[in-house]
Amino acid sequence: MDFLVSSLAAALRLIGTFSPDVVDAVGTSLAVSAGATVFAALFGIPLGLLVGLSDFPLKRLVVTVLNTLMAVPTVVVGLVVYGFLSRQGPLGVLGLLFTPTAIVIGGTLLAAPIVANYALASVRGADPRIVPTALTLGAGRVLAVGTLIAEIRFGILAAVIAGFGRVVSEVGVAMMLGGNIRGYTRTMTTAIALETSKGEFAFGMALGILLMMVALLVNLFLNLLQRR
Amino acid sequence: MKVMYRLDSIRKRYGSNVALDIEELTIAEGRLYTLTGANGAGKSTLLNILAFLSPPTSGEIHYAGKRVAWDPGSMEEYRRKVTLLHQSPYLFGGTVYDNVAFGLKARRIHGDARERRVDKALDDVGLQGFRDRKARELSGGEAQRVAMARALVLEPEVLLLDEPLANIDRGTAGLLETVIASLPARGTTVVLITHDPEQPGRLNGESILLEEGKVATPHPPVA
Repeated sequence: MDFLVSSLAAALRLIGTFSPDVVDAVGTSLAVSAGATVFAALFGIPLGLLVGLSDFPLKRLVVTVLNTLMAVPTVVVGLVVYGFLSRQGPLGVLGLLFTPTAIVIGGTLLAAPIVANYALASVRGADPRIVPTALTLGAGRVLAVGTLIAEIRFGILAAVIAGFGRVVSEVGVAMMLGGNIRGYTRTMTTAIALETSKGEFAFGMALGILLMMVALLVNLFLNLLQRR
Repeated sequence: MKVMYRLDSIRKRYGSNVALDIEELTIAEGRLYTLTGANGAGKSTLLNILAFLSPPTSGEIHYAGKRVAWDPGSMEEYRRKVTLLHQSPYLFGGTVYDNVAFGLKARRIHGDARERRVDKALDDVGLQGFRDRKARELSGGEAQRVAMARALVLEPEVLLLDEPLANIDRGTAGLLETVIASLPARGTTVVLITHDPEQPGRLNGESILLEEGKVATPHPPVA
């Protein structure tokens, strides 16, 4: 018990004194997560809206695939992207492996299905009168869809936040594609895994506390939006 | 008198169920029609077709003498002439003004013209001073009046009303009924679904009765 208490005290000291290693890991985590979330939103929101608003023969299959992609383990995503970015891979010439960009690519693939599914759920849960009302008031197809998006904007924002939550808390992609390079690609989650294995439990605990705070803030914001 | 709609052999199916089966129906300009019939008789289905929101499974519709092709490119033009008001209308988030001005913005009507028309429409339904109120915070009767103002502001050639006076208080219903009754004199064609047996008489309109998707009483041809 003393070990835990003393580690917690040391962790709080590290946070309170803005330890450069802690600050660096937090900064990298937030930066790559934000980047991945932006790209995931650019792909995922239109995809979710398109699937939700249109009828086509293989729609059920597409929805099932999107649902399945949400459950893909992060290390599998890391493995696939690693295959493409490694020196022998088709994109190896770009030299992106073990860079923040590689983590962003992996994070995008991880978050895009979540964003798409949340956007799809928002469209499905939208009031069915929105589009007919806009159409009968003279809106064209584009304005009618724009009106629908405006009406479900909180659901769309929730999709983006859920995507961010997924990326910031994962470790597999960041570890496999970033390589956990100190001061460059070390994120909160990879630092926790590495430092704890090295016996730096207090350092891992400090980052764990900060990661929990980020997750808590994200979920509080998400709950707030879902209540509106 | 000008014919607004001519329906020939219109059928609407949902799977194997035939919701609407109208051999012939003519609706003249500037007249008020009440559409009656039991639940499931096809009234709302007919209104959705007349509003160009849902194409018939088969048959032809002519609007103002022109055959409706139901191609996506031309439907916006038709929908800008016809407005449908539902029994429980959807109000968009934002203010009363945002809702009433929606159709005008879609038609790119800006500036003073838009402001004047919004104010007049709100006056017509007794909602002066409601412009900046949050639409979602209105009572049921007020929301129905906003929806009516949102339709009236467009000055449509045809106004289709799906039980617009159901579920609202007597005072609001009386006000809206007066507004509706005045529309044919302005040249607006009105088709109104009602379950109130006395409403057709009060509105001095022509009656169309639907039974199991068919027009039950022959509709008099337009002279």
